[in-house]
Amino acid sequence: MCTTVLTVDDSRAMRDMLRHSLLAAGFRVLQAEDGLHGLEVLETERPDVIVTDINMPRMDGFGFIEAVRRDEARRSMPVLVLTTEIDAEKKNRARAAGATGWIVKPFDPIKLVEAIRRVAA
Amino acid sequence: MDHIHPGADTLALPPILNLTAAAALLENLLTLRGRPLSLNAGDVQRLGAQCLQVLLAARAAWAADEQELSLADCSEDFLTTLNLFGVAPKSLTYCKELP
Amino acid sequence: MDPMAAIRETFFQECEEQLAELEAGLILMESGAAEAETVNAVFRAVHSIKGGAGIFALDALVRFAHVFETALDQVRSGTLATGPGVMNLLLRAADVLADLVRAARDNGVVDETRTAALVVEFTQISNLGHELPPAPKSQPTVCAPVPTWHISFTPTPALYAKANETALLLRELRRLGPIEAVVDTTHLPELSEMDPEGAYLTWNITLEADCAEQAIRNVFEFVEDDCDLEITAAPPAEPSLKPGDIITGDNGFSFEFFPPPVFDEEEPPAVPEPEHHAPPPSPVVRQSPVEAMAAKAESAAAVSATIRVDLDRVDRMIDLVGELVINEATLSQRVLEAGIARASGVAMALEELEHLTREIQDSVMAIRAQPVRSVFQRMPRLVREVAAQTGKQARLVTEGESTEVDKTVIERIADPLTHMIRNAIDHGLESPEKRLAAGKPAEGLVRLTALHRSGRIVLEVSDDGAGINRARVKEKALENGLISPDATLTDDEIDNLIFLPGFSTASTVSDISGRGVGMDVVRQSVAALGGRIAISSRPGHGSSFTLSLPLTLAVLDGMVISARGHTLIIPLGAIVETLKPKAADVFPLDGEINVIRLRGGYVPMVDVAASLGYSDEFVELDQSVALLVEGEGGVRAVLLADAIHGQRQVVIKSLEANYRAVPGIAAATVMGDGRVALILDVDVVVKTTRSELNRPEPSVLEAH
Repeated sequence: MCTTVLTVDDSRAMRDMLRHSLLAAGFRVLQAEDGLHGLEVLETERPDVIVTDINMPRMDGFGFIEAVRRDEARRSMPVLVLTTEIDAEKKNRARAAGATGWIVKPFDPIKLVEAIRRVAA
Repeated sequence: MDHIHPGADTLALPPILNLTAAAALLENLLTLRGRPLSLNAGDVQRLGAQCLQVLLAARAAWAADEQELSLADCSEDFLTTLNLFGVAPKSLTYCKELP
Repeated sequence: MDPMAAIRETFFQECEEQLAELEAGLILMESGAAEAETVNAVFRAVHSIKGGAGIFALDALVRFAHVFETALDQVRSGTLATGPGVMNLLLRAADVLADLVRAARDNGVVDETRTAALVVEFTQISNLGHELPPAPKSQPTVCAPVPTWHISFTPTPALYAKANETALLLRELRRLGPIEAVVDTTHLPELSEMDPEGAYLTWNITLEADCAEQAIRNVFEFVEDDCDLEITAAPPAEPSLKPGDIITGDNGFSFEFFPPPVFDEEEPPAVPEPEHHAPPPSPVVRQSPVEAMAAKAESAAAVSATIRVDLDRVDRMIDLVGELVINEATLSQRVLEAGIARASGVAMALEELEHLTREIQDSVMAIRAQPVRSVFQRMPRLVREVAAQTGKQARLVTEGESTEVDKTVIERIADPLTHMIRNAIDHGLESPEKRLAAGKPAEGLVRLTALHRSGRIVLEVSDDGAGINRARVKEKALENGLISPDATLTDDEIDNLIFLPGFSTASTVSDISGRGVGMDVVRQSVAALGGRIAISSRPGHGSSFTLSLPLTLAVLDGMVISARGHTLIIPLGAIVETLKPKAADVFPLDGEINVIRLRGGYVPMVDVAASLGYSDEFVELDQSVALLVEGEGGVRAVLLADAIHGQRQVVIKSLEANYRAVPGIAAATVMGDGRVALILDVDVVVKTTRSELNRPEPSVLEAH
């Protein structure tokens, strides 16, 4: 069974880019446009790893991760944060929210795939 | 409940023993305490560190109670992960010392 | 298309959307009407551009977006106040960002000194100097490879709560080399006292691997803060990474270690302590049903309320619906010709079909309708630039941005609007000194409004400047021979003189409004769209240009007439009334022009068939019908034709696209009986009579 990754990013170009890289690595890819949409996808899907952006409309990455961690059935899902933020305060907020790991964009697709493999059971 | 060994209860471990399974595992073990127990690990696909902790603590409890704790039917995944953790299967079981 | 090229294209499309959002948000902020979410959206727009630019290594764009974003973040957090100076800087930065995006897209160049100057300004307002993005630098941490490592690893509960897992970390370590783990259960509590989600174990691991310490640290990079980790080598390894260090790889990829862990204490969360059994929050109403995407190879993003459709497909659909309308009309005609009674089932079904067809047409046209916002959003920048160039102070206020109009029209209103706004600032507004002297605020106001009025879109550009200097206009018109010295003109007529070709009121033709290109060009391009433009002015209080355009260039409400056996369509919007002319009211003028007396005035008459060259003979007055039409600028004429057949909506077929441009003919359509009918270009026909009246030599309208 192949690893399923949910990507949550409001930029279509970024989603396309992620999908392209992750499909090439043999993952199954689910996509969501923001945190709320991500939660909707999680109602019916159980991805092995979630990769999320931070700055998004409606529900940002912090809110999304917190919601995932509050959900008894989903809280064991690894969530990697993929963002251009380099500011320590935001990183700490993501940690406090329960992020499994943090990757700074622009990402290296190979490293991203490695990071996903590392946290995927 | 099936009895593999006379006088021993059996607890079938669920396939996924991750973070969210630890609380239920602990609760089950606490209710079975004080009697011989056989753990069936045949279905286990994934074993996380927190369930491992519970199993190690259970072993200590059964030893303190001087009750037998045995492992039956270990899956390949279960044994591989135990090995990764540096835990030998026998450190999860307790056998009453013969007098 | 190569997938990367497609992603790149998507990125630039999104950039345009983000730039529009950015500008709209900044303007809202400037007006003081911004909410917190506006500032967030503005930040996100720049942030998103930066993120995407990073993928494609558009370094100049990334660098500038970063500086811009940092300032916006300070605005967002309240550490940077948005006074007029800062807002001005942010708006200019938005312009530069737009230039950088377009330069990146088109492989163009940008004015680097302008970019650099803005960066300096940003540095000055927010002390960002030290926060410029780190240039991608590699940080070689070279240490002697050692064969054996000892690793002591004690996770905290937080590590597990974030869905990290010791088993996976051990598996990862094993990829570096053979490992031997020994679990230390010293701190394991009694079974009945343990927290199932606590963390009580320590692993002492021996790793045999010829690797640098960094490679091991990398395995623990996500959990360094949530565990106690000691790594030692048989020969002590040199510089070890401290939390906060950044590991940088190629492509600017980097991992940063989290700050030192605080044990036995969760960090003070920025939000209330998550309750484990609380249901997931749903603060916003779900917009779409769960659209989970089963994706084997191609997973598509589920999109909530909108879809993107290739414009070609919509255009094709509009064409087809146009054909449908024509076919439906043909069918009706045939049924009529077959002598089928109106009350019959066939005729009634047909009527329903006609109704439905009309509805489909309206719905399809609505798909292509777009708010004028996209055009309006370009204008604030224009106002800033023109104001800066002319040394005037101007503020743009827009209204009715959500007014919708067909895409074909949207594309073509930007130019006339640009010209009108340039004109309003350059010629309409006074210099700040003059305004102050006149008791007005130094900053002039330019108002851009859009609204729907009787099936057309009306765009208005008004200013609170000095208004049209009528004495000067008249003088100029005389100089240029546009009016005769003894002409008595109303104020409105004088105002509208500025639309005459070659007219320019400014004593010095400025760079801004174009070299000698006056309002006549605007009028022509508007007329080409089937639109009209008019001006009204109040001395001392300002001028107002009103532009009225059809909502679509795809269909037209027209009056069907016949002239010498030819079927023609006259746009309904141009028709004022129909007349039955009396011979007594007609007076011949010099040349071949007749005028008709109408309510005390005289209006030139045009024989449609003659003007198009269908016939050399003029139609007999008593056998003709007359239509009073009005061209742009309120110029009137009476058109003579053989008969009026009634009103109908026709689908416009471009003559230029299908044949070639013909003077006097705006376009063509296909009638119900399959015949092609030409749509009369009323403005050209009216103008012809006008020039024949005003100029000594009659201009010739060649018919082909």
